Amino acid sequence: MKQMLLGVYFVILSCSPALGAEWEDIVAAASGQTVYFNAWGGSQPVNAYIEWAAREVNEKYKVRVVHVKVTDIGDVVSRILVEKSAGKNTGGSVDLMWLNGENFKTMKENNLLYGPFSRKLPHYALADIKNKKNLLYDFTVPVDNLESPWGTAQLVFLYDSRRVPEHPKSMGDLLAFAEKNQGKFTYPAIPEFHGTTFIKQALMELMEDPEVLNHPVIASDFDAHTKPLWDFLDRLHPRLWRSGKIFPGSASQMFSLLNDGEIHISLSFNPNAAANAVENGELPPAVRTYVHASGTIGNAHFVAIPFNSSAREGAMVFADFLLSPRAQAEKADPRIWGDPTVLDIQRLSTEDRALFEAIPKPPATLAPEDLGRVLPEPHASWVQALEKAWLKKFNQ
Amino acid sequence: MLPLTSLGKSGFFPVFIMASLGLTFLAGLLGTVLPSLDYLPVIGHTRFSWSPWQAFLSYPGIWASIRVTLISGITACVSAVGLSVLWTCCAHGSRTWALFEKALSPLLSIPHAAFAIGFGFLIAPSGWLVRLVSPGLTGFSSPPDWIILNDPYGLSLAAALAIKEIPFLVMVMISAMGQLDMENTLPAGRALGYTKEQIWLKILIPRLYPHIRLSVFAVIAYSFSVVDMALILGPGSPPTLAVQILKWFNDPDLSLKLVAACGSLFLFALVGAGIAAAFLVEKSLGFFLRSWMTNGRRRSILTRLKPLFFLPGLGIMGITGAATLLLVIWSLARQWQFPEVLPASWSLNFWTTGLVSSFHPFVTTLWTGMAAAFAGLVLTIGCLEHGAGSKRKGTRNLNTPVFYFLYLPLLVPQISFMAGIQLSLVVLNLDGSWITLLWSHLVFVLPYLFIVLQATYLSYDQRFWDQALLLKRSYFLALFRIKLPMLVRPVLFSFAIGFSVSVAQYIPTMVVGAGRFSTLTTEAVALASGSDRRALAVYALLQQALPMSIYALALMVPKILYYNRKGMQV
Repeated sequence: MKQMLLGVYFVILSCSPALGAEWEDIVAAASGQTVYFNAWGGSQPVNAYIEWAAREVNEKYKVRVVHVKVTDIGDVVSRILVEKSAGKNTGGSVDLMWLNGENFKTMKENNLLYGPFSRKLPHYALADIKNKKNLLYDFTVPVDNLESPWGTAQLVFLYDSRRVPEHPKSMGDLLAFAEKNQGKFTYPAIPEFHGTTFIKQALMELMEDPEVLNHPVIASDFDAHTKPLWDFLDRLHPRLWRSGKIFPGSASQMFSLLNDGEIHISLSFNPNAAANAVENGELPPAVRTYVHASGTIGNAHFVAIPFNSSAREGAMVFADFLLSPRAQAEKADPRIWGDPTVLDIQRLSTEDRALFEAIPKPPATLAPEDLGRVLPEPHASWVQALEKAWLKKFNQ
Repeated sequence: MLPLTSLGKSGFFPVFIMASLGLTFLAGLLGTVLPSLDYLPVIGHTRFSWSPWQAFLSYPGIWASIRVTLISGITACVSAVGLSVLWTCCAHGSRTWALFEKALSPLLSIPHAAFAIGFGFLIAPSGWLVRLVSPGLTGFSSPPDWIILNDPYGLSLAAALAIKEIPFLVMVMISAMGQLDMENTLPAGRALGYTKEQIWLKILIPRLYPHIRLSVFAVIAYSFSVVDMALILGPGSPPTLAVQILKWFNDPDLSLKLVAACGSLFLFALVGAGIAAAFLVEKSLGFFLRSWMTNGRRRSILTRLKPLFFLPGLGIMGITGAATLLLVIWSLARQWQFPEVLPASWSLNFWTTGLVSSFHPFVTTLWTGMAAAFAGLVLTIGCLEHGAGSKRKGTRNLNTPVFYFLYLPLLVPQISFMAGIQLSLVVLNLDGSWITLLWSHLVFVLPYLFIVLQATYLSYDQRFWDQALLLKRSYFLALFRIKLPMLVRPVLFSFAIGFSVSVAQYIPTMVVGAGRFSTLTTEAVALASGSDRRALAVYALLQQALPMSIYALALMVPKILYYNRKGMQV
């Protein structure tokens, strides 16, 4: 089967002159273009990785990539929207952006995306769309090739093994831990991404019938379905850091809290975050990673081209490079960034596979096989309903 | 009267400033008022209604947001104004005061975001102050679970704001003192047996206040609407109104933009109410304290409390110094855990990578700041020359209305009208260009230049000017050969202020620059949303070092230029 797929891939690449020729045209047009890549700039390792990738495509394809470091990609979505409303259909300020989830949904609904470009990228054929459904459904919204996968993410917990001898294995355990260790856990305030994921994870573990999460939320049932979650949070909050009176602004701020010993358990969306942070001294070497026994929520993040990009070809060339085994292996290295790959390792050439096999597996992280079950994101409508309810209850 | 043909043309400067600031403000207002009434065709809202206002007033936590904005804003303003007045009364003329005056430039040049970051490192429960006494005195092996930073009442934010605002107010007072005839007032008061503090409180401050009134209003507007400091030190859920507005603007749910517009107008109204309140307080103090001012009592309780009011000045210098020192230590740290007073291991890595990656933002910051300060200086001097000319000729002085326009950008919350401006710029296809970025900085640089330069300009000895004209008979020669060289110190000083104001701009750079221009400030705030305090410290220090070096240059250049002119050594 795998051999066959690999064969299909080569067939697509070599025997489809249309695609090959089209890509050659794209590469030719890309030469000399400047791509404004708007991406969150809050992490030095990620920034350094983007810098590296930009240098590579500049040497190889003469495409100049400028990393526009943003604090919140939602801001960029608004800007593109404003450009659209002003009739600026070409020469937009953004050529490529890093996004997923709600921001993708907004862009798709408002027709702010360029088009189904990812299928034109040669390396897209290597993406593991067969096993990783979240490459096709971004928070349950069909991707429709409007964005090109960049990396995957899964909710993991980080703990300081000097202070937590045995880590929790479920939300129930976590509550027990919090009750025994006043103030040693917290989660980012909703609607921050990681905070929202934490309460979605709690809901999945606690509700009687998690199957309803796959469907749009029904307002009349919402209270009944989510009651176990609110009961849980009511018990958990007084036990949290600062007695749940204030919450950190982001999961990255929780890293500082973990380093200072203010909290003993933190969370991340990157299974290798701990290794990376230990490597550069940001976290103590005793930090380890775990997931809950019933599995944790996973998703993917993407890059997409806005409808009015002035350097589409350059953006595609860069997106394709980001998908290449070399760039993906570099990114997956915990010493660089540690963001898991979207590629199907089995379908790679022996040479490319060796790149991934050479990546060290530090003790702070979990190997892919230890990450357990990946739970799908609930239907997108749940996010807003949960956020609203949380804000109403706790944002006073 | 000499035939000075060029004077008539100087009317260009005030007219230009009024027209462009007025238009900028109108564009911003329009882009805010319409969405607040449910009109934003981009997202398909074309029917006017009150529904955004209903959504705004019923948003979860909105009243808590308004409450924390009021508490932190009022606390910051009252303590900033009160302490700077008391500090001036008690300390003026002392050695500590002289030290404070010397420290004023570096204090002012530190961007708000950089200070907030260092201040946070200092006072957090895991911060340096607790580390210094832990575990020795406190027994803490892990940080205490205290709410200090990001507290729900915004008190840490208020403290940081006050610390940044007191030097500003003191600077404004110092520059206004030139117009007070202090050399005569103080000895006269002493001769009548008044203590120095009493002279200040009863005679000088009431006369000084009208000169600083607008700056106090600017402090009110700033405290209510600050975003970058509130992001770092303010509460998170719910945040201050200004931060909440920014969050709404950035939310993927686009209908929240309408709510954000309502929030902007509401914040605008809060600032207006705050200014009105300050005006009422001023008037009623003037009314009720009149009998106290004229009761003839020579001694003041302040004389006995004097040592207490030395604290603000010393405290500000101490805290700012410690915050900067902490940034230096963090930028050199590799591993640093609680309760270690110093890092366990050190590294230069963050400087080497930071210096490389900050190169482009550094260049952008430098050029934009230079250009904004220079353009601002030209406009300001043009306006002040127009004022001086019309005073001589008795023609209409356009500078009186100019002041109100100039203060608009300081009195209107940045976040309120920048978003409206963004929309207008995109419509005009002017967004994301360096010129508009420069303009958006200039809008905020101008008022500060005016505040600083106006007083010295007005107190310039007219006889020099008359002499110069008599000898040269050329307006431009008199201006460029005599007047400006004599004023080179205040001119360069205001240039440095203008530069540092430009460096500190966060919202205009983000909004008008369309994200295409990253400056040291935008990079530092972006890193503040991450976790790496060492990389953050490097950027905060760079952001702080740049304006400080410009200040140092502004102080040194006149000294070098006039090393052989005794009368020019100040």
